[in-house]
Amino acid sequence: MKKIINDPKDFVDEFVDGILLAHPELVKAPTPDRRVLVRADAPVAGKVGIVTGGGSGHLPLFKGYVGRGLCDGVAIGNVFSSPSSAQILEATKAVDGGAGVLYLYGNYGGDVFNFDLSTDMAELEGIRTVTVLGHDDVASQPKERAADRRGVAGIFFAFKAAGAAAERGDSLDQVAAVAEDIINHTATMGVGLSPTILPTTAKPSFQLADDEMEIGIGIHGEPGIHRGSMETADEIAEHLTGRLIDDLGVTSGDRVAVLVNGMGATPLEELYLLFRKTHQMLSSQGITIAKSYVGEYATSLEMAGASISILALTDERLALLESPAESPFFREA
Amino acid sequence: MNGHELNLAIRNCLGVFPGYADELGDLDQALGDGDLGITVSLGAQAALEALEQLPSDAKPTEVVLACAKAFANANPSTMAALVAGALLAGSRVWGDAEKVDSEMVNAFALAAAESISQRGKSQVGDKTILDAMFPAAEALRNTEGAAKRIDAAIAAAERGVMTSKELQSRRGRASWLQDRSIGLQDPGATAYLRFLQSWKLANSPSHATVN
Repeated sequence: MKKIINDPKDFVDEFVDGILLAHPELVKAPTPDRRVLVRADAPVAGKVGIVTGGGSGHLPLFKGYVGRGLCDGVAIGNVFSSPSSAQILEATKAVDGGAGVLYLYGNYGGDVFNFDLSTDMAELEGIRTVTVLGHDDVASQPKERAADRRGVAGIFFAFKAAGAAAERGDSLDQVAAVAEDIINHTATMGVGLSPTILPTTAKPSFQLADDEMEIGIGIHGEPGIHRGSMETADEIAEHLTGRLIDDLGVTSGDRVAVLVNGMGATPLEELYLLFRKTHQMLSSQGITIAKSYVGEYATSLEMAGASISILALTDERLALLESPAESPFFREA
Repeated sequence: MNGHELNLAIRNCLGVFPGYADELGDLDQALGDGDLGITVSLGAQAALEALEQLPSDAKPTEVVLACAKAFANANPSTMAALVAGALLAGSRVWGDAEKVDSEMVNAFALAAAESISQRGKSQVGDKTILDAMFPAAEALRNTEGAAKRIDAAIAAAERGVMTSKELQSRRGRASWLQDRSIGLQDPGATAYLRFLQSWKLANSPSHATVN
């Protein structure tokens, strides 16, 4: 299996170094171990700080959304494993501008344990935190148990909107309410075509035959809800988008934002095929796409595949999405 | 017990407790991912080092906080996070007190167990550390006299561990084993029992090494 790496155990430290060297005007590392990145001007006095975090291997997810109008800091775990509570606490202290800190990350056990522990530790430091979890993966639980779903690419919408709310001066509870509102109106589903390869083991994370695909797969290769023969781009989009429309209950006259996300090894051209069909499906039902994103927003190393996320829009949600933002991986002018 | 006495008692206990690391690691190998032995040894070592550095006038809460931080940072596993959270929750009920009495120890034991219950979304009967913690906390509440209290807590934890053998794991990695988990002793509950036994052994007058 071919990968461009040095010593696998240095993988995370070295790519973080690379990000810092490439974008010194946008991000900095407040601790010597460089497992925390914060925006270059952190802490911003009087502004709510937003800290995210999770395992590595998902760029630009987590680390890529630290910047103005987005998150303020990120705690960086090893590949597919949680950052420690101490790293999360360091991120918290580095971004606290006196208005409290929102913890905004995906619903995974190890991350929840460590962020919760950091909440207790931050309280001892006199920093108030509020937690909102991304739980947008509709394939991982039925709608009745939506709060137990995994968090995947759709959390990007929450980073963007909560970041904009914090930037305009909202209070911690208001920023948390914005994040919660976005997540409750976001749904995502993915398809995997090939496994990811862990740098430490150099082994694929799961097996999938050449002519197979798996619908509903998680971003760590968690099992999906349907494994079957490869289908066309249009058929895949029908599976994914059809389920998202049902789950969100969007209907004629509604406006949505759409994110077609590549998992790491699928060409942009193929992502645009998915977007094209999704656009046709929504338009034919009288639903307007007011904001579109196509590209890599949450990957799984070199997994081939894609996910589609839909956010049901209001004027307020759209305005927050359209507010300015800038990070090493994302820009909204 | 003041902060300094608590510090010494914990250090004595942590001198003995890692002796059970291999046993706990083996139990966890059978039911989980096998890192409990490492969590226990690294955590105990880190806590010992943190406690040695504390000033002798540190309050009981500060002693426990030092342990919690050291334990969490030594090895960021789920168990370490749960234990550190439990210690923080327990220390909160002590506030700024200069000394802790048996009532406060009871409150600590219960708050610690409740913290893990809430965080881990588990109850007694789920085959977790709680199968030992809650019975031990109850035994403490119902027993008078220092020597009898630790014996009662150990006996209750031991019964919890034995009961856990017959249960099917419902939480964490072990739950994936489903009915194959029946008959196996829960490593978390065993760890709590061994901790209590270490405490008794290490702090009996003939054994204590740090005074």
